[in-house]
Amino acid sequence: MQKEEFDNFESFSRKDTEHKLPLGWLVLFFGLILWGAYYFVMYTPSISGWTQEKAYQESIEK
Amino acid sequence: MNEYSYDYRTVQGFILSAIFWGVIGLVIGLLISVQMWNADFNFGEYFSYGRLRTIHTNVLAYGLGIGAEFGVFYYLTIRLTKRNLVLGKLARFHLWLFNVGMVLATFTLFIGMNQSLEYAEFEWPIDIAIVILWVIFTIVILTNIFKRKEEHMYVSLWYIIATLIAVAILYIVNNLHIPATLTKSYHLFAGTNSANVEWWYGHNAVGFLFTTPILAMFYYFLPKATGLPLYSHRLSIISFWSLIFAYLWTGAHHLVYTPLPDWIQTLGIVFTLFLIAPSWGSVINGYFTVDADWGKMRTNYLTKFFVLGITFYGLQTIQGPSQGIRVISSLIHYTDWVPGHVHMGTMGWVTMIICASVYVIIPHIYNTKIFSEKVANIHFWLVLVGQLMFSITMWVTGIQQGAMWKMTNADGSLKYTFMETLVGNYPYWQMRTVAGVIFVVGMLFFVYNVFMTIRQGQAKASLADVKAA
Repeated sequence: MQKEEFDNFESFSRKDTEHKLPLGWLVLFFGLILWGAYYFVMYTPSISGWTQEKAYQESIEK
Repeated sequence: MNEYSYDYRTVQGFILSAIFWGVIGLVIGLLISVQMWNADFNFGEYFSYGRLRTIHTNVLAYGLGIGAEFGVFYYLTIRLTKRNLVLGKLARFHLWLFNVGMVLATFTLFIGMNQSLEYAEFEWPIDIAIVILWVIFTIVILTNIFKRKEEHMYVSLWYIIATLIAVAILYIVNNLHIPATLTKSYHLFAGTNSANVEWWYGHNAVGFLFTTPILAMFYYFLPKATGLPLYSHRLSIISFWSLIFAYLWTGAHHLVYTPLPDWIQTLGIVFTLFLIAPSWGSVINGYFTVDADWGKMRTNYLTKFFVLGITFYGLQTIQGPSQGIRVISSLIHYTDWVPGHVHMGTMGWVTMIICASVYVIIPHIYNTKIFSEKVANIHFWLVLVGQLMFSITMWVTGIQQGAMWKMTNADGSLKYTFMETLVGNYPYWQMRTVAGVIFVVGMLFFVYNVFMTIRQGQAKASLADVKAA
């Protein structure tokens, strides 16, 4: 009978990075949320009046 | 041999089944890639492109992808809960049912039973079988998690749980059909609603079959194989929750510039772009983990699988959201760019990580080493070259196609006929077939390596038995 050797999960994660997230990543994370809010406002017909149909009409009038 | 041997046999059974279905799916893939540029390769109704394309996607996604995920998930669950499967017999039954189900399901596609919903082509009797299969799988995994002997829930377990729950919901809702006969049914939703539900399902199939399960493997096998601790457990958990929260909203990006209401499209695009953040959380985590010692790229043959795998995941999760933006979607949607995108994920990320995981699991089961690192390295380079050729040729021809469709003469009429745009694809389609051959040869090296490792392990085990006697 072999004994099954299990992992020590303590050794799976670095201790020195426990309490901080990479700054660049945080900027990306919140930046995308802000961009999402902007995009939602700009491209929702009931808020900004933009519609797919209008955009199409403009594109063929050029 | 030990008390875990029975469950490890189940794991190995799934891995071998996945390899079997994988080879079938890859060969069919090669055949349909030839059919694209030479119609003489359509043989009768059963081996025509319309039937085989569906079989290719389903056999590889469900046979190779999920087959391997079943096996690797059982393995991960055993490791992470620190006990053998409480319902080991049920898991073994699941293995048999899976293969019988795959044979039946593939057969129904051959004879042309098809719900006409992409990635949900199986007709309703097969759907019911799949739901039963998934419920069995869920029960086995969750039982182990509830009765775990390790307090700590490692991030891979979270990804596993998300996969179980999300796939169950998605599959059941999109496959709500009204049966007309045994072989024909109609979608409960009509028109635009049907399309919206279908792509909510279709996109999340990619999210919860090709993303979360593979990340579960990545997060466990990367530290395990390289011996480098994960850069940040916190980052992995935050990425996890934001990923699964955002993913479920993104289906509408498949329906940009369609009759789907504008606000739903916009919302889908917003969440799609946000997905870059959680995806790149995992990418950064992978890079920073290996950053502790880049020398591992040379000294440990598996490191490059994980690094390249996560690199393609990173590229995929930039390219995917970009495609969701209206202006880019209007250029590349419906072109061959899309298969290029999909195959970067499936050939570059999914198979890379699955193969690397199998390279860890199989030797561990037999308490031996991999049969040949050299063969593994050949496998790696062939797969890498094949996948890059495939993706890049399809991107080039996709942009060409999209541009030709859009070009107009001074009077506003279309500059090119559809046929001209199609003929423009031929050289690229031929190059893709070459890429496919290179990739498949690479995968055959992998298969050979796995089988030889098993043989070597069995020989070692029987030797140990003789010694013990």
